[in-house]
Amino acid sequence: MALREVEGGAGLDLGEVLGPSSEIATRRRLSGWRRAVVGLALPAVLLTAWSVLSATGILSGRLLPAPADLARSFRDFVVAPQREAVPGVVPFRGAAAEHIRASVGLWTGAYVIALCVGLPLGLALGLSRWTAAAVDPLFQALRSVPITAWLPIGLVWFGLGSGAGRFLVFVGAVSPIVVATADSTARVPRQLVDTARMLGTRPRDLARRVYLPAALPGIVTGLRLGLTLGWTTVIVGELTGVSRGLGAMMFAAREVSRLDQIIVGMATFAIIGLTGDILLRAASRPLTRWADA
Amino acid sequence: MGRRLSTEPVTTAVSEGRTAGAPATLTAAGVAKSYGTLRVLAQIDVSVAPGEVVAVLGPSGCGKSTLLRVLAGLEPPDRGRVEIGGQPVRGPSPDRPMVVQGATLFPWLTLRANLEWGPKALGNRQAGAIVDELLEATGLSGSADLLPRQLSGGMRQRAAIAQVLANQPPLLLLDEPFGALDAQTRLRMQEWLIGLLAERRTATLLVTHDVEEALLLGHRLLRLSHRPATVLEELALDLPSPRGRSTLSDPRFVHLKGDVLTRVLDA
Ligand SMILES: Nc1ncnc2c1ncn2[C@@H]1O[C@H](COP(=O)(O)OP(=O)(O)OP(=O)(O)O)[C@@H](O)[C@H]1O
Ligand SMILES: [Mg+2]
Repeated sequence: MALREVEGGAGLDLGEVLGPSSEIATRRRLSGWRRAVVGLALPAVLLTAWSVLSATGILSGRLLPAPADLARSFRDFVVAPQREAVPGVVPFRGAAAEHIRASVGLWTGAYVIALCVGLPLGLALGLSRWTAAAVDPLFQALRSVPITAWLPIGLVWFGLGSGAGRFLVFVGAVSPIVVATADSTARVPRQLVDTARMLGTRPRDLARRVYLPAALPGIVTGLRLGLTLGWTTVIVGELTGVSRGLGAMMFAAREVSRLDQIIVGMATFAIIGLTGDILLRAASRPLTRWADA
Repeated sequence: MGRRLSTEPVTTAVSEGRTAGAPATLTAAGVAKSYGTLRVLAQIDVSVAPGEVVAVLGPSGCGKSTLLRVLAGLEPPDRGRVEIGGQPVRGPSPDRPMVVQGATLFPWLTLRANLEWGPKALGNRQAGAIVDELLEATGLSGSADLLPRQLSGGMRQRAAIAQVLANQPPLLLLDEPFGALDAQTRLRMQEWLIGLLAERRTATLLVTHDVEEALLLGHRLLRLSHRPATVLEELALDLPSPRGRSTLSDPRFVHLKGDVLTRVLDA
């Protein structure tokens, strides 16, 4: 009563009476441009050192081509006019779009399947002790098989071509999604679930209304790991005899000892992987902002 | 005097899993509970009549939270029975929600969305109106769009109580609701809660280890022993109403407090 008197009478905000919200600790993040500058500083320093070493001849072009030569190859890869396609030959000049389209297609296709399998499986493992007890040992055992070791069986099952590739990328992407989803679901505080039940939430709605949102920050971490791991598996997936894709281009370049082209391929992998992670993070941020420190 | 809020509930939520109709007495008889080999509750009898506030006082670790979890239906007792109006309690229900120690709100939802959770879960169309009224009654209208982590401890505590009150339960189970607050804030909150419970005639079982809080809020006091817990004594607290800060200097209150404190310390 007296409390309401104070409020009604003096028009006082209770927040002021009970402690200003400014005291609530929030960890500062670096602002966008500052982070960009700091993040670019180290690569810039290394690049300068590399240029100097190449120009003075200390670093042989056979071990590592000079940055300028690589830039030229990169430009060829992206914008040079394409030569007429020769069957059985993997093109390089002007073929960036083609290879990127093939690799990204393989990646996203497999990743979507990994999401459709990994999220429900992870939720089931995190929610049900029975499912966990039944599935977890088998899953952990399969997870210990190196991704490359799935290549031969993938080739037997799906034959040469992109089917086997998609299978491998799926294998790479799915396990971080399952592990992170199961783990963060199992760690949702019991009190949240109890409170939801006491507020009248039906048991069958708990997964969607409580577990999933509460576990989302952890799940997003798994989704990011899976996305990146899937991308790094794309090159293994392109050992399956495909003629288009960044991996296919790099293996063809190795046959003719074009180190510059191999490095262009690596750089393209790095740029696209980074872009994918940034996009996924940006898309998930509104959903996980509540958990930021 | 501040604006009195209507004592009439905005609406009566009725939905599956809810027992509509007159509020009923909560009765627990011979309740025992162990965790593995650890005996927590030895033998507890307690009842809460409609509109009554029963304070349960006990030393830390004696099993107060455990008792509330059993009464809320979150955990079954090993022995004994828990009934509401003669019907056995089988699981948690919005008719007897418990506000857990440390006040749980859904951290990804704004304060308003947290308070709307219950009415919406029960399909109550008046969710918005009920929550507006509660925000006002708790003095939190200005913070409706903040996330829980942006609230102060005291605000969170009131919000957690408001969250379960949004379903207008006839019975409320409170676990040391103001334990973590400073003395002045706690007294303000206690006065606020006394007013709110009286206004809504909500039967309450309030668990605390604070003698003053038990005497200030309770109509009846149950004192529990150390673990494994039994009921050591039961006292009717017929101090004059309305209770508040002036009660603290009432000679009868002072005398009673000294009395109970002595027995708590000697136990
Ligand atoms: N889920 C559990 N599993 C095992 N032991 C438990 C569990 N919950 C509580 N206990 C034990 O039961 C005893 C009573 O715990 P409880 O939380 O009920 O005490 P309390 O009276 O609420 O204490 P406090 O005043 O400190 O909140 C403690 O010894 C605790 O360790
Ligand atoms: Mg407790």
